[in-house]
Amino acid sequence: MEELIDILEEIKPGVDWEKETDLIGNHILDSLKIVQLVGALNDEFDIEITPIDIVPENFKTAETIYAMVKRLEDE
Amino acid sequence: MSYTSYTYLLIFLGAVFICYTALPKKFKWTVLLISSYVFYWINSKRLIIFLLLSTVAVYFAGVFLNRINDTAALAKKGLEKEEKKQVKALVNWQKRAVVALAVGFIFTILLVLKYSAFFAHSLNSAFGFLHFEELKFMLPLGISYYTLQAAGYIIDVYRGKYRASENFGKVALFLSFFPQIVEGPIGRFDLLADPLYEGHSFDYDRLCKGVQLIFWGLFKKTVIADRVNIFVSEVFGSYKYYSGSIILLGGLLYTLQIYAEFSGCMDIVTGSAEIFGVPLSKNFERPFFSKSVNEFWRRWHITLGAWLRDYVFYSVSLSRPFMKLSKFAKKHFNEFLGSLVPASFALFFTWLGIGFWHGAGWKYIAYGLYYYAIMTAGMYLEPLFAKLYSALKIKRDSKPLNIFRVARTVILVVGGMMLFRADTVGVWVGMLKCVFTSFGAGGFLKTALTLGMDKQDFLIVAVGAAVMLIISILQEKGINVRDSLARQKLPVRWCAYAALVMAVVIFGAYGPGYDAVDFIYGQF
Repeated sequence: MEELIDILEEIKPGVDWEKETDLIGNHILDSLKIVQLVGALNDEFDIEITPIDIVPENFKTAETIYAMVKRLEDE
Repeated sequence: MSYTSYTYLLIFLGAVFICYTALPKKFKWTVLLISSYVFYWINSKRLIIFLLLSTVAVYFAGVFLNRINDTAALAKKGLEKEEKKQVKALVNWQKRAVVALAVGFIFTILLVLKYSAFFAHSLNSAFGFLHFEELKFMLPLGISYYTLQAAGYIIDVYRGKYRASENFGKVALFLSFFPQIVEGPIGRFDLLADPLYEGHSFDYDRLCKGVQLIFWGLFKKTVIADRVNIFVSEVFGSYKYYSGSIILLGGLLYTLQIYAEFSGCMDIVTGSAEIFGVPLSKNFERPFFSKSVNEFWRRWHITLGAWLRDYVFYSVSLSRPFMKLSKFAKKHFNEFLGSLVPASFALFFTWLGIGFWHGAGWKYIAYGLYYYAIMTAGMYLEPLFAKLYSALKIKRDSKPLNIFRVARTVILVVGGMMLFRADTVGVWVGMLKCVFTSFGAGGFLKTALTLGMDKQDFLIVAVGAAVMLIISILQEKGINVRDSLARQKLPVRWCAYAALVMAVVIFGAYGPGYDAVDFIYGQF
């Protein structure tokens, strides 16, 4: 989780990532930021996030992003 | 049969509603299917064949994808991880071939019918030795909308978002549903399938709310949009005869016209679908309150933007070559440029798509690239703005700054709308030049009142726009106007409804001088 927060902080500094409850609805992560985030996550965790994974439920909070990463690592 | 015609509102919609309500639950979706095809036939006659061809292609592609997935699931049982990967690779290849064929087929129909004359003309102009025949075809109703909807459906099945429907009639209904076939909104199968197929019993409240929304849409279309049409057509048709101030008014009125008309049409079709218990996706969310052009496009024609984001932008930017480009950029530029360069490449395709989707002509491509240029400039200049705000000690969320940003967005959008409406890019440049070099405010009022709108017309449009603005402000503050109205006592409620109906009947632009104006977005 710490690695993820570091990546998020690098992409958009100054957000309280662990407390934010709707990163998409509150426009904290837009499509450009999501693409940056996906690139960083793919590299860091050696996974392949595809367009099908890019749904609001997966990017709603830091925890849902982390859950998606864990799921893709296991696949 | 226009959505604003009595034939549609009273006869067609009324008859479909009676049949839908009268038939048993399991047959209700067939009423929607038959009526959608009747609606399409009335409007497009033999061109219905193209809708059918796309439906057949997408239906069979979906069934094939289901078969491939089923076979793969069986084959994977009991295999080791490496063997599973090999099966997956083979299956992916097969699935890609099916999707490429289906999407290629439906887009070929669109490209040939809509763009062949444009391509032929452009090639003939560029290379003198070429003489392609510039064939112009009749466009099937809503082809630009149902093609995107069909492609989105099959790509989602390919991506594994849901299983394809194996009922041809249901796929046909999803692609032809009469409220959304002319101008969208571009629907998603996972959101529409259940409400379309499950069949709803009669619900008085739902009927009232649907009719209420239809009248609100009619108000926007007939009272505001159609009334300014003559003025706008005159200014854009002969801009050289007018001063910059009149051209600017023409641009502002056109922006009002297209918004009132397109969002009005969305209200009419959303109300029509609501009567049958089918919630259509939102296409507008008060776009003129946006603080940036980027935000404007998140709130204007939402379903088109979302389609391009999900099926073009993400597909391009998450593809292997783009991921490699992204890594290359990060390695060779600084962190900021490293993330922006690939994004601006991917956005280019998205905006080219938006421009091209709107029409077969260079001005539409210029229209897409106009917004692309503004957005990328905004992205690259962001650090500069941040420094400027910090140096001037301006808070990012301060009210004056937000008002400035909204005004700036409106100006840029009016510029874009003028390009959209002008006959050519050259005409647009000429109009802008006039606005900046010969504004000529003297005699403005006198001229403005000779262009098809008298004082009364301007007053009606101003009051109509003010009503629209007040409702938008309330919605922007989080107030659900429809629910608030529904909670009022019966006399208040019915007075409001009666006022709306009377406004449409009395102040709608009908009669001599006002031909029924086609929906602008219905021509794509």
